[in-house]
Amino acid sequence: MNRQPRALLSVLLLGLIAFTGWRWWSGQQPPADSGTEIVFSDVTTRGGVLTSSLRSEPRSFNRWVERNFPTEFTSQLTQSTLIRINRATQEIEPALAESWIASPDNRTFTLTLREAAWSDGAPFTSADVLFTFQAIYDPKVNSILAGSLKVNGQPLTVTAPDARTVVIGYPGVFGPGIALLDNLTLAPKHKLEAALAAGTFSQAWGVASPVNEMVSLGPFVLSRYEPGQRLVFDRNPRYWKKDSAGVALPYLDQIVAEVVPDQNAELVRLQAGQIDMLQQQVRPEDIATLRPLVDQGKLQLLELGVGTDPDVFFFNLRQPYWAKDPRGGWITRREFRQAISHAVDRESFANTVYLGAGVPIWGPITPGNQKWFSPNVPRYAFSLERAKALLAGLGLANRDADEWLEDDKGTEARFTVLTYRGNSSLERSAAVLRDDLRPLGIAVDVVALEQGALVERMLKGDFESIFFVYSASALDPGMSPDLWLSSGSAHIWNIGQATPATEWEKQIDDLMRQMMSSVDQAERKRLFDQVQNIFAENLPALYFVAPRMYIGVSSRVGSLTPAILRPQLLWAADRITVRSPGTGQGGR
Amino acid sequence: MGRYLLRRLGFALLLVLVVSSASLLLTRLAPGDITSEQALVLDPASLAKLRTELGLDRPLAVQYASWLAGVVRLDFGRSLLYSRPVSTLIGERALNTAMLASVALVLATVIGLPLGVYSGSRSRGVGRASVRVLSVLALSVPPLIGSLGLVFLAARTGWLPVGGMTSAAGIDQTWAQWLVDLARHLPIPALALALPLAATLERLQSQAIEKATREPFVAASRARGLGHAQALIRHAWPVSLRSVLGLYGIMIGSLFSGSFVVEVITSWPGLGRLMYDALKARDLYLVAGCAASGAFFLAAGTWLADVLLAFADPRVRSQEAR
Amino acid sequence: MTRRAALFVLALTALSLAAPLLAPYDAGLAFRDFLHAPPMRPHLQGFAAPVVHPIVLADRLEQRFEADQTRTIPLPWFGGTSDRPVFLLGADNFGRDVLSRLLYGARTSVGLALFATVGAVLIGAPAGAWAGLRGGWVDDAVMRVADFVLILPVIYVVLVLRAVLPLVLPASTVFLLVAWIFVAVGWPFVAKGVRAIVAAERDREYVLAARSLGAGPARILVHHLIPACSGHLVVQATLLLPGFILAEATLSFVGLGFPDPVASWGTMLAEAGNYNAVARFPWTLAPAVAIFAIVLATNLIASPDDRTS
Repeated sequence: MNRQPRALLSVLLLGLIAFTGWRWWSGQQPPADSGTEIVFSDVTTRGGVLTSSLRSEPRSFNRWVERNFPTEFTSQLTQSTLIRINRATQEIEPALAESWIASPDNRTFTLTLREAAWSDGAPFTSADVLFTFQAIYDPKVNSILAGSLKVNGQPLTVTAPDARTVVIGYPGVFGPGIALLDNLTLAPKHKLEAALAAGTFSQAWGVASPVNEMVSLGPFVLSRYEPGQRLVFDRNPRYWKKDSAGVALPYLDQIVAEVVPDQNAELVRLQAGQIDMLQQQVRPEDIATLRPLVDQGKLQLLELGVGTDPDVFFFNLRQPYWAKDPRGGWITRREFRQAISHAVDRESFANTVYLGAGVPIWGPITPGNQKWFSPNVPRYAFSLERAKALLAGLGLANRDADEWLEDDKGTEARFTVLTYRGNSSLERSAAVLRDDLRPLGIAVDVVALEQGALVERMLKGDFESIFFVYSASALDPGMSPDLWLSSGSAHIWNIGQATPATEWEKQIDDLMRQMMSSVDQAERKRLFDQVQNIFAENLPALYFVAPRMYIGVSSRVGSLTPAILRPQLLWAADRITVRSPGTGQGGR
Repeated sequence: MGRYLLRRLGFALLLVLVVSSASLLLTRLAPGDITSEQALVLDPASLAKLRTELGLDRPLAVQYASWLAGVVRLDFGRSLLYSRPVSTLIGERALNTAMLASVALVLATVIGLPLGVYSGSRSRGVGRASVRVLSVLALSVPPLIGSLGLVFLAARTGWLPVGGMTSAAGIDQTWAQWLVDLARHLPIPALALALPLAATLERLQSQAIEKATREPFVAASRARGLGHAQALIRHAWPVSLRSVLGLYGIMIGSLFSGSFVVEVITSWPGLGRLMYDALKARDLYLVAGCAASGAFFLAAGTWLADVLLAFADPRVRSQEAR
Repeated sequence: MTRRAALFVLALTALSLAAPLLAPYDAGLAFRDFLHAPPMRPHLQGFAAPVVHPIVLADRLEQRFEADQTRTIPLPWFGGTSDRPVFLLGADNFGRDVLSRLLYGARTSVGLALFATVGAVLIGAPAGAWAGLRGGWVDDAVMRVADFVLILPVIYVVLVLRAVLPLVLPASTVFLLVAWIFVAVGWPFVAKGVRAIVAAERDREYVLAARSLGAGPARILVHHLIPACSGHLVVQATLLLPGFILAEATLSFVGLGFPDPVASWGTMLAEAGNYNAVARFPWTLAPAVAIFAIVLATNLIASPDDRTS
């Protein structure tokens, strides 16, 4: 019986210890980093190591068959194109073609190649260009670039009168013109010729191939790949580009891409200064976490402006899917989507989902895409009355005791939204949509799926509605016919139609074809504005808010030209500089 | 005893086979596969080609048979997520899990046993009661809660790095630097795993010591003039150790299950994290391989427990008790 | 200790049923201007009902709030409604009251665990009793299966099982599914103990006496053996319960349990898995504290110290 008081005593003792510990701990200031002061002067232009993170590993280094970000990232650093679209200015710039002449009918381009060499010393010639086209168009290779290097489904024709000249013929007039060649990642004939002949091109340059096989034409060469750990890129001493002072680019000696699969871990490492930059934007909710570092001058937080790939919400508009469904009568009607657009308070949406860092939008082209944005598309003001009137017009009314609407046959106004799991902004978007439609009497069930499962359902057409994000590779809509044309493979609400299912889709098809085959920029813009108007009237897909994009990068990194599309910083890796060269750790 | 252990071994092998086969079959039945992710950018024809290349279009039975034939040669197929052999991946990751688990085990032992000996040898006192209270508190912190709490503490104070096994360090790192880095990342996951185990060990050791000190020969040794501590260490402890030993096999099993959630929370690149990523990406062979190796480690642990128990408990040895 | 355990289970049941009475708000109610609002501290003003100072948004992007010291609002339980919400345990990333979600979450998490525990006992006890009573091959078969289930890497099996089931499921279906998975992995714990007790009791004098008096096996089971096991059953149930609560939390934490709008301790903890956020918003760890408290209570009840002393 005298156990009890003693136990009590010890509990008290422990409590006391815990309490003093807590007092002491809570009295501590937030971790004051006692690291060395950053010196802002002495910017060295040459040398140094830049460390980035990479969320996933490449599955292959073969840019021609593999379309994953890590592969594209590696290709950005080690490969080159004939011309390139400057990601910051959207202007066409010469790359390995130093100049070109367009024929009067805009269908033939004669390009003069630069004197350049692959990283192993082999000269770069027109034979490499011919070889690249041959490989991409080879059906056995099944290149992912083939689709993007065709005009109206037809391949380009290529001839090479001599080693320095290439003549490229288009099957028809194409609006973006030579910009199309930005998709042409050049392949080394002397390394890959045998694989193409043997029919093994698509397996070449796998992750297990020796790194010295992968010769480079870009600013860096892949010098080491440690699976699960990192990719190391050394400067390519044979890179052709020089800066205005005649200094050979790139400035950096080395870029290290550390594989950090976890988004939170990635942020922690950026905070700790172990990596200099991330390969994607900083989420709005993480900005407060990084703010103290910005204040201490250790980190720069770049605001890139409004993003160009907003999250999109769309219904399944394939009629057969709804044929046996009692909701088929109203759920694919335009008025239903318009009612939803009216019911969403976009300001409040931006506040909840992006913590205020977003702008309301009414169509797929955001203000971030300055060249193509149209401020005049029909807008749907936040108005529950208008929404309710539209729903009443569809015969939806509350006919029983619950809070949801029913149609005249008693079917409840309810649908399921699929979204990506783990994408915090999408999960919040879908939840906000659910909450916003509730006062209207429309019930929404949100289901978060893994990316793969969701995309599979989308392709099969096995979904009611989806809230997700789709990244376009170019800002010029003429470069994404797969989204705009009703026959396109990314016409997400009704993929790959044989003939346009609706009158307005036919109109958009016609306008887009005209727009793509026109070279007059004003005319193209006028046509595309019409497309945007038709789109906003019919709302095959609903857009609510475009987020502002932020990039976090260490203060030791300089000469940045951020772009809105990925990779936002390393697209111009050859000009990036770092302070305190020599260590990968950035001397913090 | 040999037959007993052999029978248990057979049981363990059966477990490994059933678990891995079941996970392969079940994952196969689930909607979506690794190619779904690519589906958006590929046309149906190339998608079908990709699936043929990966062997995903073959009938389930054929796929299973070829997988099984591979497993016999320790070939678990290729991970489609990482495009590397599953066995290599599992080898790497299992090493990390093993490192985490063994550190946790050592930690639990170092904390648990001495405290147990201490509290067991005292019949009263504030010290003993404090150990009791601490132990019941630690016992109530399962790895899920423990790792969340510790991660919070670390993130809040900045005392220890959070997430991963090493920092994204420079590439030209010496072994010493790597070790220091590792040592800074280990405490959080290891402690989260070790806390409840240490408490369990403390309790068991404490009871065992209490019992052992009541044994006549320990009392006799004290009567011979040995000091309290000496009698404890030299005579009581070895006797008590026997019952504690049997626990270790079971602890390996619980470490393994517990490490799943700890690895997910602290981003420790071990088997659990690998399985989590594989499940998310529906990487068929990787899921099956992870489950197989998971079952293997668990079975090995259980078997080891049986062996230890057989040595510790003469009854098992003599009469082959089930 | 049996009585204490029974009281504990009863208290948990009450807690899981009482959510609608205790919770100040609906679990799904989101206050959009109060994402990650910090907990408010109630102030006592003499003998009047406690009040809090309302908070206002100071910086939306950085989710900073300031207390408006000039105003007070009463707590929701003490009458008086206010247009300003009161968050005693803060708000989550949707601006939902953590306290309300914790209470409603208890209904899901504890309810599920209770359901699974009852299921495991109802299946495990007869199975164990049958094995113990019949002996022979029945005993062998049941115990082999139980052994097998016991050494399964449970978490991996549950993950795979849950992953193959359709993901588009209403919460009630998820509840039943997860509960049945738990029952399937939980029954052997009960069965093994019951079998051991029944096997031991089978040959005791009073059972032999009953049998010689002509009692059938069913009668012996119901009148003699089940009562003998009741102590074990209560202990087992007390141990299974927190195990299941934890299992639900783990499952929902990794995204294979309940879908988000459902308040459960696991779905709530999923947010706390982001260690950048948790350092700034520690109150999202509230369910972890609740789980800790329940496990602690179980350990105190089932403590071997009390059994020996």
